[in-house]
Amino acid sequence: MSDPFATLGLPVRFGLARSEIEARWKELSKALHPDRHMQASPAERRQALGRAVTVNEAYRAIRDELGRAEAVLALRGGRTRRDADPALLMEVMELRETLAEKRASGDQAGVRRLSDRVEAQASAVRVALAMALDGEPPALDIAAAELARLRYLQRFLDEVRATEDEA
Amino acid sequence: MSLLQIHDPAAAPRPIGIDLGTTNSIVAYVPPSGGPVAIRDCDGEALVPSVVQYRAQGTPVVGTTAQRTAVEAPADTIVSVKRFMGRGAADPETRRLGPYRFATSEGPVVKFAVAGERVVTPIEVSAEILRELKERAEDELGPVGGAVITVPAYFDDAQRQATKDAARLAGITVLRLLNEPTAAALAYGLASKRNGRFLVYDLGGGTFDVTLLELEDGVFHVRATGGDSQLGGDDMDRALAAELLAALPGEEPARVRWALDAARQIKHALTEAAAVETELEFAGVRVPYRIERTAFDAMIRPLLERTGRAVRRVLADAEARATDLDGVILVGGSTRVPAVRAYVQQITGLSPLEGIDPDLVVALGAAVQADVLAGEGERPDVLLLDVLPLSLGIETMGGVVERILGRNTAIPTEAAQVFTTYADQQTGFEIHVVQGERELAKDCRSLARFTLRGIPPMAAGLARLEVRFRVDADGLLSVSARERTTGIEQTVEVRPTYGLSDEEIEGMLLSAYEQGEGDIQARLVAERRVEGARVRMATEKALGEDGDLLSSDERRAIDDALAQLSASLAGEDPRLMQARTDALETVTHAFAGRRMDRAMQRALAGQAVDSVAAVTQNARGIERAHEPLAETKA
Repeated sequence: MSDPFATLGLPVRFGLARSEIEARWKELSKALHPDRHMQASPAERRQALGRAVTVNEAYRAIRDELGRAEAVLALRGGRTRRDADPALLMEVMELRETLAEKRASGDQAGVRRLSDRVEAQASAVRVALAMALDGEPPALDIAAAELARLRYLQRFLDEVRATEDEA
Repeated sequence: MSLLQIHDPAAAPRPIGIDLGTTNSIVAYVPPSGGPVAIRDCDGEALVPSVVQYRAQGTPVVGTTAQRTAVEAPADTIVSVKRFMGRGAADPETRRLGPYRFATSEGPVVKFAVAGERVVTPIEVSAEILRELKERAEDELGPVGGAVITVPAYFDDAQRQATKDAARLAGITVLRLLNEPTAAALAYGLASKRNGRFLVYDLGGGTFDVTLLELEDGVFHVRATGGDSQLGGDDMDRALAAELLAALPGEEPARVRWALDAARQIKHALTEAAAVETELEFAGVRVPYRIERTAFDAMIRPLLERTGRAVRRVLADAEARATDLDGVILVGGSTRVPAVRAYVQQITGLSPLEGIDPDLVVALGAAVQADVLAGEGERPDVLLLDVLPLSLGIETMGGVVERILGRNTAIPTEAAQVFTTYADQQTGFEIHVVQGERELAKDCRSLARFTLRGIPPMAAGLARLEVRFRVDADGLLSVSARERTTGIEQTVEVRPTYGLSDEEIEGMLLSAYEQGEGDIQARLVAERRVEGARVRMATEKALGEDGDLLSSDERRAIDDALAQLSASLAGEDPRLMQARTDALETVTHAFAGRRMDRAMQRALAGQAVDSVAAVTQNARGIERAHEPLAETKA
């Protein structure tokens, strides 16, 4: 897929506001959505549809922060880390164990404290990630490591939330 | 189908909106001036019961007549066919419903065995209802153009595809499938509000749906949807009928039917009156009967509380509270009952919007959208951006679902995922497409299964199989797969199998013609001519707007193709018309691309395309009327 930032007419930046991305997506959708070209010739309808799809793909690619970080990293010539840092794995495993213990003992307040703490860590990672990706020049290795970290923390938080919903 | 002979072929076909409901169906349109109106029969009735009766001979009977005689031929009279749409023959829901004879107990599509030794699918049954609605519209309007057809927000891909197939079978061009709650919001003109959260409470005869709609900067999102597929006004009738049967005891079917009819009449009377005094009469026995509205309200209270639970669940799913709501819309005839309205007001703290008949509101909204999409003249600036209601994925090893497109993805869209083989020398690859939010494929809705064959034998893990999902603006999926390691490309284009293949639809259409329903050649000529003229007009309009994007050579080529097309349209040869239309297509391909690029540039320049259009119009001295949308009282 081509550069999703260019498709949406945005600078390649991690630190974009979601509302800004959404606004671009909506403006382009208004120009390209099939509903706007119902009366046009089939050639134009096909062209509009193809572009609407590209715009929606670009929006999906960079709307959420993890996808956006990945896209910036790739465009800046960095590589996403597939192998996780052993220290990070250890840390996440410990978080999981703590969570399981607190759950088992029915310590709801403890679960919430834990998730608040991880949430705060994730926020700090976001700041570091923005500095690494959007700096001049970007610090690609740091960015890749922070991105991996954010992904693990985010997954942990999603799991906490999912099990809360079940409870 | 005699429209070709009767109506002026030059008259512009008019777009229509259709509410294809479980209990009743309605067709509506927007007249050249004013808001949307429902089309009524000679008795002034807009509701067509969604009932189709097959007889040993002749075409099936649809609507009131079929409903009246349903008891005489229960197995040949398909009631509430919408409940079967997109369901497999082995689906437990299929088995549970109705007195029908099923022609098969397996396969992706339900098949009813009906009178005349016929076997029909829910798609064909729905097509009969749509055909009836289309004919009604044609009687009133002359030629009918495309249609917007509404579907429940929770309809999955199979159900949407089945609805679209039914329309094709009925000879209707589908402009768009529209979510029912969104249609109701459009009828109330809420799109012009730009932002807000609206609860749509839809209590029909036998189903209850509740949806939280969010309007964000002119974009509607279905935030959450829920309800009860076995709850509706019929349950109120049953509750009251039980009391009537206590007054005139007995269990024979005729008595039960009498009690249900009497109960419905009393319920309707209680909508206006605080008490009803009447005489019950069955089989010559008469009993005086009196009921206060408060007693009826107490009787249906448990039903209302069931709807309340569904409302709270939907609010919770959307992480919203009742105080976040900006409006409540009532849909469905059962919301006329005063206790329903009062209850909704009590649980939401908002008094529901008023002014549009709750039976018609969905059809009227569909008509508004059809008019926006295909109507003539200036229309208010409404663009609905829709999202996938449920995630799409494929089954991988161990029955786990790999999600390819998540729910709430903006459509139209596409996405691809690369898979590999798990066994050495594996030459086939089974692809199982599912829809739903669950982790395991067996808990999701199965949409299609197909096998990609002819993969060159190689070690496990070496083949690279790309599976691509495409979803159009109606939320309909097509899947293709190709193997891309050895330069050998295999592309299999698959439309999920629950619907009908193009061949099957063609076959059904042809058999309809064989039954003497029309002249296929005349229809073909008419269709090609309309299509050719449409393409010509669109091209001329494009040349007027963006002619500067063309070199003089390119311009000459397009002008030539236009002249050739016009000449063919004056003749009677449908193949020539098609060929010339295609030729014009070919020479305008690059032009169309440049026009889209320009449109994108304008959009990105922060200058909405609409305002550009408005400026151009003002420059030409045309003033655009800003009329409020659909403030109709039906």
